[in-house]
Amino acid sequence: MEGRKLYLPRASVLVAGFVIAGLLGLTAYFFPIFQVAATSAVSSGSLPDALPGPTQPFTVLLLGSDDDAKFVPDRFNSQSMILVRLDPSAKRATMLSIPRDLWVPIPGHGTGKISTAFQLGGPALAMKAVETNFRVRIDDYVWIGLKGLVNLIDRLGGVDVVVTNPVMDDFYPADVNTNDPYGYNRVAVLPGAVHLDGIHALQYVRSRHGDLRGDFARSERQQQLLLAIKDAHLNAADLPFLASAFSGEIKTSIGLDRVRQLLALAGELGGSGITREVLMPPYTSETTIGGQDVVLPSWRLILPLVHKTFP
Amino acid sequence: MKQAAVSAAVVLAMIAFGVGAYNTVGSLRGGTTAVQRPTSSLVAVPGTIYVAQGGALYRLRDGSFKQITPDDGWTQPAGSPDGKQVVAVKQTVNSGDLFLLEGDGRVVAQLTHNDARRAERNHWAFYPRFSADGATIFYSYDPKDPFNSYRVDLAIFSRPADPASHGETDWTLPNQYTGGDTNPMPTKGALVFTRFSIDEHSVMHSQVWLQGRPGSPGVALTAAADDCAQAAVSPDAKRLAMVCRHGELRSMRLVVVPLDLVSASIGPPAAVVSGGLVASPAFSPDGQTLAYLAPASPGGPFQLWTVTLSPATGPASPRQVTQNLSLDSSSPPAWVAS
Repeated sequence: MEGRKLYLPRASVLVAGFVIAGLLGLTAYFFPIFQVAATSAVSSGSLPDALPGPTQPFTVLLLGSDDDAKFVPDRFNSQSMILVRLDPSAKRATMLSIPRDLWVPIPGHGTGKISTAFQLGGPALAMKAVETNFRVRIDDYVWIGLKGLVNLIDRLGGVDVVVTNPVMDDFYPADVNTNDPYGYNRVAVLPGAVHLDGIHALQYVRSRHGDLRGDFARSERQQQLLLAIKDAHLNAADLPFLASAFSGEIKTSIGLDRVRQLLALAGELGGSGITREVLMPPYTSETTIGGQDVVLPSWRLILPLVHKTFP
Repeated sequence: MKQAAVSAAVVLAMIAFGVGAYNTVGSLRGGTTAVQRPTSSLVAVPGTIYVAQGGALYRLRDGSFKQITPDDGWTQPAGSPDGKQVVAVKQTVNSGDLFLLEGDGRVVAQLTHNDARRAERNHWAFYPRFSADGATIFYSYDPKDPFNSYRVDLAIFSRPADPASHGETDWTLPNQYTGGDTNPMPTKGALVFTRFSIDEHSVMHSQVWLQGRPGSPGVALTAAADDCAQAAVSPDAKRLAMVCRHGELRSMRLVVVPLDLVSASIGPPAAVVSGGLVASPAFSPDGQTLAYLAPASPGGPFQLWTVTLSPATGPASPRQVTQNLSLDSSSPPAWVAS
């Protein structure tokens, strides 16, 4: 009995040890909040203009890439490009999907598909390409990879979407969680109201072969998924949970203040406060240039549409 | 030695405590309700209802669920007219096949063989339904387009329910690159199904169609602007239930309309459920109640609901039959008497 006592640390040491262990666990969980807060302070100083106040509208460029093993890390095209204007005071949001094959001047790199801007110069050049061609000012960007999207949806417990028609694809890239990133499999997302997990949500927003409207239909589905994520009613306290879901599969210039604005606004946005635009014909037309399938912009139609919402 | 062991145990306990604190906060913040396997229902429903969740088929009878297949890609069960057998889909990554099962899940026969080595040579089979006499099974199937390998459009086919018999019949010609025709519902010699089309503004629409015989032109029962789909026909073939979304993507209506097969027309709709998401209605064997699938809360997984249809008083309030499940909403409940 006496000997056993000798082996045990003092009660105060035990208690302190458990308290420290618990605090370390909590710190590990909430670390992303501190990290985002720190990033926010640095980012705000580097912006050319002062950050808008908490009620002022702002514009975010959402970028999504195929970042599987087929590609050199950090040399991805942006397969998805959505310009989002959020107006907290009016509780309005506008989403404008930009076709990935839009044939435009890319600053410093001649003319090419707008999706290549991200590959050539990262988020900065992607933002610059959109700003110069669409004549808008972008405040921030968010980039997400394949696994990041899958993890996010799964951590949300899935999302509800209305599939308007069967999304069928016999050549869907089987490049997530695989040893063969060049493989493919078949996809059938059946129509109607459905609850999608991460992998099926990714299939839904990524598949494009079986739809007559090709990339335009895919853009619509991507906007639809954004709305479904919005309906998940996230709030600022979910940041650690989001950060762990992304597990490095996200890049953003957004600071903590704006994240809070975004999440708060998402909860307040109703269906009538959201405008969705996809640059389908007549805003664009499809053609071939140098053997590439490209989408030509009709700026005469696009710019008035854009400037109704985006300054 | 003993002291070192005790110290190590204490340190391990502290680490476990720290990890526990991390996980506890994470689970509290996650906010998602844990999905459960079906075991019991909130309310009793008469007869037997088959549903699908997580790749398994479940049978609801007397307030209790029983899993009748393993979690192995099973979905979309449909009961035979005598209620003794079930036809269902077994889906793999690249293909889907129809199987005939006993009511307890025992496989009687595999009716189709759609798997192939190369992914694009596989086929799908979805939405199987027995004809009223039980002799024929209607389903959606993707015939290959030899000139367009990217084109995958489902068409409605039929085949004998007898596993020993063969001979598929192609009933419909879907609009190209829309995904094709779905939800076949054979009724009194005719076929009701959902067809998709793209309008001049590149907007996708769904309509409920009626077709009299294989290859005939058929007629749209609903307008494109109403975006109706997933039709179910009452056992007496006088009413039709369907989901309509009217161009919306976050709000739908479950409606019931009078159906006249002779004039190939429907009457004015009566809304049974409005707002939110709703899917896959199915009539009870006596035609007096509808089963359907809908989330219990916005954004959540789908639960089984029923609503009684009374011609005199109109539809009653919906009753939630399950909670905390994640039922496959593309798999209509199969409701049989026995």
